[in-house]
Amino acid sequence: MKHFFLILLGVVVLTVFSQAFAKDWSEIEQEAKGQTIYFNAWGGSQPINEYIQWACQVVQETYKVRVIHVKATDIGDVVSRILVEKAADKQTNGSVDLLWINGENFKAMKENMLLYGPFSQNLPHYKLVSTLKKTMLYDFTIPVDNMESPWGMAQLVFSYDTKQVSKHPTSMPELLAFARQNPGKFTYPAIPSFHGTTFIKQVLLELIQDPEILNKPVIQADFEKNTRPLWDFLNELHPFLWRKGKVFPTSGSQMLSLLNDNEIFISFSFNPNSVSNAIENGELPNTIRTYIHTMGTISNAHFLSIPFNSSAKSGAMVFANFLLSPMAQARKADPRIWGDPSVLDIKKLAGPDKALFKAVPKGIATLTPEELGQGLPEPHVSWVQFLEKEWLKKYSR
Amino acid sequence: MQIPGQEKSFIFPVFVMGLFCVTILAGLVGTILPSLNFLPVIGHTKVSLSVWRDFFSYPGIQASFFVTIFSGITASFGVVSFAFFFISVSYGNTLWKFFEKILSPVLSIPHAAFAVGFGFLIAPSGWLIRMVSPSLTGFTTPPDWMILNDPAGISLTIALMIKEFPFLIMVTMGALGQLDIKETLLVGRALGYTKEQIWLKILIPRLYPHLRLSIFAVIAYSLCVVDIAILLGPSAPPSLAVLILKWFNDPDVGFKLLAAAGALFLFFIVLLSILCVYLIEGSAGFFLRPFIINGKRSSFLAWFKPVIFFMGMCIIHFTFISSVILVIWSLTWQWRFPDFLPATWTLNFWAKGMVASFDPVMTTVFTGVAAALLGLLLTIGCLEHDVNSRKNKTKNHTRYLQYFLYLPLLVPQITFMAGIQLLLVIMKMDGYWITLMLSHLLFVLPYMFIALSATYLAFDGRVTDQAILLGRSYTRVLFRIKLPMLLKPILFSFAIGFSVSVAQYIPTMLVGAGRFSTITTEVVNIASGSDRRIMAVYALIQQCLPMAMYAMAIILPKILYYNRKGMQV
Repeated sequence: MKHFFLILLGVVVLTVFSQAFAKDWSEIEQEAKGQTIYFNAWGGSQPINEYIQWACQVVQETYKVRVIHVKATDIGDVVSRILVEKAADKQTNGSVDLLWINGENFKAMKENMLLYGPFSQNLPHYKLVSTLKKTMLYDFTIPVDNMESPWGMAQLVFSYDTKQVSKHPTSMPELLAFARQNPGKFTYPAIPSFHGTTFIKQVLLELIQDPEILNKPVIQADFEKNTRPLWDFLNELHPFLWRKGKVFPTSGSQMLSLLNDNEIFISFSFNPNSVSNAIENGELPNTIRTYIHTMGTISNAHFLSIPFNSSAKSGAMVFANFLLSPMAQARKADPRIWGDPSVLDIKKLAGPDKALFKAVPKGIATLTPEELGQGLPEPHVSWVQFLEKEWLKKYSR
Repeated sequence: MQIPGQEKSFIFPVFVMGLFCVTILAGLVGTILPSLNFLPVIGHTKVSLSVWRDFFSYPGIQASFFVTIFSGITASFGVVSFAFFFISVSYGNTLWKFFEKILSPVLSIPHAAFAVGFGFLIAPSGWLIRMVSPSLTGFTTPPDWMILNDPAGISLTIALMIKEFPFLIMVTMGALGQLDIKETLLVGRALGYTKEQIWLKILIPRLYPHLRLSIFAVIAYSLCVVDIAILLGPSAPPSLAVLILKWFNDPDVGFKLLAAAGALFLFFIVLLSILCVYLIEGSAGFFLRPFIINGKRSSFLAWFKPVIFFMGMCIIHFTFISSVILVIWSLTWQWRFPDFLPATWTLNFWAKGMVASFDPVMTTVFTGVAAALLGLLLTIGCLEHDVNSRKNKTKNHTRYLQYFLYLPLLVPQITFMAGIQLLLVIMKMDGYWITLMLSHLLFVLPYMFIALSATYLAFDGRVTDQAILLGRSYTRVLFRIKLPMLLKPILFSFAIGFSVSVAQYIPTMLVGAGRFSTITTEVVNIASGSDRRIMAVYALIQQCLPMAMYAMAIILPKILYYNRKGMQV
C-alpha cells in the first residue's frame, strides 16, 4: 500500500511537472510570437547562408518569429560587442539574441558571464540529442552546463586529390613521408587560426607518449617535455611544406582554394561533408576524396547560445529548438545543402523522423560513420594558449 | 566689411570641430586606458605598463614592425616619386589624356576586390603562369614560388603602389588647375629648358604644398592597411595592423589590451613618419636649391621616359586585368590549374548574388548618399567660412579645423572605433542608422575636404564680387553663381565621399551593431570563406556603386551645361 502511494505520488508529481513543463514551452512559443531575433553567425559560406535563410523562413511561417541572420566575419567581434555592452551596463535590448559559437569563444563568454542560461534542457527537441556523446556535454573540455544548445558536429578530416596522390597517408609520420616525397604540396594555416591550432593539436594527440596528460590542465614544467615530439615533428616537416614553411595560409578556407588550384595535394577541413558539398557546388573537382588517420581525429561540436542581455530570449529559444528538430537537422546533414553532421541520436527518433535521415544521401567524398569512428577528444582547453604561444615563438619570426 | 549672410558661416567649422573632438577623444581614451591595463569589464583595473611589456615581447613583433615600416614607407615613397616623374614626362600627352578618362573607374575599384584579382594574377597558380602553362613552362602543377605573401612584404608594397597611384594622380589633376602651367611651360621652353626639367625644377615644388595632405593620407593608409595586407601580406607574422585586428577579435579577451597598445604604437609610427616627411620637406628645400638653380637645361628623366611609360601602362593593365579576373571568376563553375579559362561556366552565382545583395545595396546607397550630402554641406560651409574670413580678416575657424580633421585617417581604425563604440553603447545610441551615417562621415569628410578645398579656395572671387555689386544677396550669389560654376569639382568630391562611405567596414560593424549590412560587409563576410566565385559577384556589385557615382559626376555637368562650353571643363 505504501508503495502504491509513493508510485501514485510519483506519477502525480511527474504529470504536474511535465504539464508545467509543457505549459512553459507553449508559453515561450506564445511569447516568441512577433519577436525579432538577431542571429549572429559566421557568413562566409554561401550554402550555410542559404540554409540559415531557409530556417528563418520556416520559423517565420510556423512560429511567427522573425529571424535576421547577422553575418559575422569572425564570431570574435560579436563576442567583443557583447562584452562592450556589458561594460556599458546594457542589461536589456542587447544587439545579439542568438549566436553560433564554440570552444574558446564559448569559454570567453562563460568566464565573462555573458551568457543566458541554463536553457537548452527546456528545449523540447533537446531530448533527442545524443547526450551520451561527451562532445555534447563538454565544449573543448569546458562543461556546457546547458548554457548553449548543440547545433552540429565537426571532425577533422583530411582531403586529397586522387589524381595526384595514389595512396594517402594514414598517420602523422606517413604524412611527413608524403611531404618529403612531394615537397611543397602540403601546408596548414598559421597559428592562431582555428584550423591551424586544430592541426597541431592532432599532431600532438598522435605523437604524445601519454595522451592522458592532455585531459588535464597543462603544467608549465611538463609542457616542454610532453610537447617535444610535436616540435621535433614540425621542425622536420616545415622545410617540406608549401613555400618551405615560410608562408602559411591564413585560414582553413584558403586551404580549399589551394587544393583547387593544385597548389597543394593534401588539405583538411573540420566537416566530414565539406568536400562533398564543395564538389556538389563546383568549388572542387570530383577527384577529391577524404580520409582520416588510423588513430582517429579530433572531433567536437558547435553550439548556439543566448547572450545575457537579449530581449528576445523566447524567440531565440524557439529558433534554437527548431534548428534541433529532426527536419532541420536532416536537411542540414544533406551534403547537397550543407552537410553538417546531426547532433541527434537516430535511435531516439520516431519512425517518420528516422526516414528523414535515411533519405539523406551519402556525399560522394564522405566517409561512413564507421570509418569516421568515435573521434578523439579535444585536449584540455588550457593547452591551446601554451601551444599557440610556443608555435609563434618558434615559427613566427 | 562683412556681407549679410556671411557672419553665420562659422557654425560649420564649429560643428565639425565639435563632432570630431568628441569622437576622437572617445576613441583615444578608449585606446589609451586599455593599453595601460585598465579595462574593468574583463577585470583589469590595476594601471601598469605590463601591457606594453607584453606587446614588445610578443613573438614575432619585430618582424611585424619591420614589414609594416618597409611596406608602408617604400610604398608611399615609391608612389609619390613615381607620380611626380609620371607627371613630369607625360603631362598633356596621349597617355595622360587616357589616364584622365579612365581615372574614375580605376579609383572606384575597392581595395579588397583589387587585391583578390591582383593576387590571382601574380600567384604561382595565377593567371600569368596559366597563360604559359603547360605549353611553355611544362608546369602541370603550380611551381612553389614565393611571389605572394612574401615575408618581406614586397608583393604587398607593389599592390599598395598600384592602388594609390590613381588616387595621387586624381588629387594632382585637381591641384594643377591652380598653377599657370601653360605659361610656365612656355616661359621655360623659351629659356631652353626641356619639359621634364621645368616640371622637376619649377612646377613640382609649387605643386607639392597642394598635395601635402594627400601624401600624409597615403603614408597613414599604407602603414595601417588591413584588407590588402591580409590578402597579399605575410602571414607569420603579419603586418602590425593585421596583428592588431587579430588580437582585437581573439577569443581570449585579454588580447584586447595588447590590441590597444598595438594601435597606439602604430599611431605613433604614423605620426613619426609624417614628422619625418615634414622635416625632409624643409631640408629638401635647402639641399635641392643647387639642383634647381644650376641652370642645366636637360633632365636625366628623359632617359627614363620609356621606363616610366612602361610602368604607367603596367599600372593600368594590372588594375584592368584584376577586374577582368573578377568577371571571369563570377561566371565560373569550375576552374583549375593550369586551365587558362574555366572548364565550366555558370550564371548561377550572379542570379543568387543579385537577389541576396538587394537589401545591402539599398542600405549602402542610402548611407553613402546621406553621408556624402552632409559631408558636402559641411565641406562647402567650412570652405566658404575660410574664404570669407580670409577676405574680411576675421577669425578663421576653419584654420583650426585641419589640425584634427585628418586624425581619423591617421589613427588605426579598429581601436579608435572601439572606443567610439563603447561611448555609443553607453549613450544607447548604437545600432541606429543616424549614428552609422555619422560614423561614416568621420572618414568621408576628410577625403571630401582633400578633394574639394584646393579648387574651391582657388575660385576667382571677382566673379562673386561682381554679382554682389550688381545687388544680389550673398546666399543668392553663392547658390546661383559660385556653386554652379564649381559643379564639377563638387560632384567629384561627392562621388569620392560616397565611395569612401561604401568602403567602410569596421565602422559599419562596430557602430551598426550588426543591424545594418552593406555590400561591403557582405563582401568581407564572403571573403572569409573560400568561394571565389560568389565573392567575385559581390565584389563586382560593390565596385559598380562608386563607379555609377563617378559616371554621374562626369556626365551631369555635360548635360546641364551642354550650351556653356567653358563650364564643362
